Amino acid sequence: MLVITILVSLLLTYFTFTYIPKLPSLFSNFKGFFNTPGFSQRLVGFLWSFVLLDLPVFASVFFGSPAISSEIETRTAFYVFPLPIPRYILLLAKYFAAVSVTIAVIMVYLVVQAIVFYMVFNGILLQPFLLSVGLTILFIFSIVAVTFLVSTIFNKNTYAYISVFLLYFLIFNAYTIISEVLYKVVPYYLLNNSASIIERVYLNISTGFGSFTVTPNGAGDSDILTSSIIMVLYTIISLAGAFVLFERKEVK
Amino acid sequence: MPPIDIVNLTKKYGKIEALSSFNLQIDKPQCVSILGPNGAGKTTLLKALTNIIKPTSGTVTIDGITVSENPMQALQGVGTLIEQPEFYPYLTGREIIEFAARVKGATRTKVTEELGHLSNLLSLEEYLDRKTGTYSRGMKQRVCLAVALVMEPKILILDEPTFGLDPRGMKEVRDLIINLKKERDIIILMSTHLISEAKEVSDRVIIVDRGKKIYDTANENNDNIMKVTLETPLDIHGKKKDHKDMQLTFLNETTLLVTLSNGMDNSVAIEKLISFGYRVKWAEPYNDIEEKYLQSVSL
Repeated sequence: MLVITILVSLLLTYFTFTYIPKLPSLFSNFKGFFNTPGFSQRLVGFLWSFVLLDLPVFASVFFGSPAISSEIETRTAFYVFPLPIPRYILLLAKYFAAVSVTIAVIMVYLVVQAIVFYMVFNGILLQPFLLSVGLTILFIFSIVAVTFLVSTIFNKNTYAYISVFLLYFLIFNAYTIISEVLYKVVPYYLLNNSASIIERVYLNISTGFGSFTVTPNGAGDSDILTSSIIMVLYTIISLAGAFVLFERKEVK
Repeated sequence: MPPIDIVNLTKKYGKIEALSSFNLQIDKPQCVSILGPNGAGKTTLLKALTNIIKPTSGTVTIDGITVSENPMQALQGVGTLIEQPEFYPYLTGREIIEFAARVKGATRTKVTEELGHLSNLLSLEEYLDRKTGTYSRGMKQRVCLAVALVMEPKILILDEPTFGLDPRGMKEVRDLIINLKKERDIIILMSTHLISEAKEVSDRVIIVDRGKKIYDTANENNDNIMKVTLETPLDIHGKKKDHKDMQLTFLNETTLLVTLSNGMDNSVAIEKLISFGYRVKWAEPYNDIEEKYLQSVSL
């Protein structure tokens, strides 16, 4: 996972250094905004965050999905379950371990981004960058919680891996498209949509089905607050579900 | 309340009843063997005792604490070895034992003491610092036993403890159990399908079949069983036959076990057998676990 993260950050570093002078021609729709101070950095920040958005999902699936299911699949449950440790402690310990390692991996990407921005723009727009980092960490907490919930349902790692990917990349996206086409509403309460705040703190680009709006500044406080609350709710509800299921988990 | 008290324990997996209204009380330090064929419910019983599964109904208490409600407290003084567990392959045997000791409340000094003691007892020195991913089945089994024995548990629950060991290893484990019994006031509850093992190490043997306890050497109300030798061979080997207050199990052409219920006297039973047309040559009281097992476990 670390290798993938480094590879992706190197690709974006290459893109940033190569295409910075060509940004106005690459993004001709935004031509009027390039005179706004800091817009280029916001645009590049948006692109870095756009790519970043999927990395926590892969990392959390990699580190979080096998957390519970593998205990059953690899039979380590017979060692650990009869030990006098409350299962919620076991779950929380594994959760924080998965969150920590996911944050550590994603931090590599964010550090590379900060270094590149300093080199290219001779500085960094601190507010959107720190907001983006903070929201990424919040997103990691919530997506890892979701993967833990899925992991407690299954007894095989493969099912847990596939289910998280299907849920996040297929079901959430399909639901979003259907909701936008049929009801003209973006389901902001889905985790993938609330996570888009990570990129929108740089540029508030909204890409609804058949519509496209952009403001040269980041998303407003209310958007940030709503997305944060949704991510916190996903974390709490998923962890609560995982606690209940794990407490009842049996090894046949 | 007895240290181990199982009352009306039933465990269902869908429509299959793995354990059916199972009762067991162990009230003093001793070694109790659960004997039964594969699928009899031995491991299910031990899993319910160690919080690996939850009872469908009934209660399992250890030292008066219900295991499913408060597993942490109930299992504090319990060492377990269930279903030949696997370990995290990236940890060494030492780390595996250390972790178990720490969660049971050992200090660093105590952990070092325990590791020294257990590695001597179970001959672990050679591979204690190797990653468990490289262990053979036998090595894993020894580390499992070390985990079970760490912090001197008052109750030891062992599921087929000699499984996967070579004959020498099996002998060592049996000797270990016998020594533990002698040296400590400990309850050892183990499952096995080896009758010889149960006979060698146990103070009490419980035979389980199809989720039910069908024989317990501690039960004073056991059916009276007679071994009867016939004069003339009969070609009904391996079959069972029921008469009122008597069950006949044919071990071979000339030998049968007669289980008497309702307090029937042996002499009355012999008279009845003769009246049924059996030519009785010899009859004797019968109390061999092996034959009891063969007689009581479904064919």
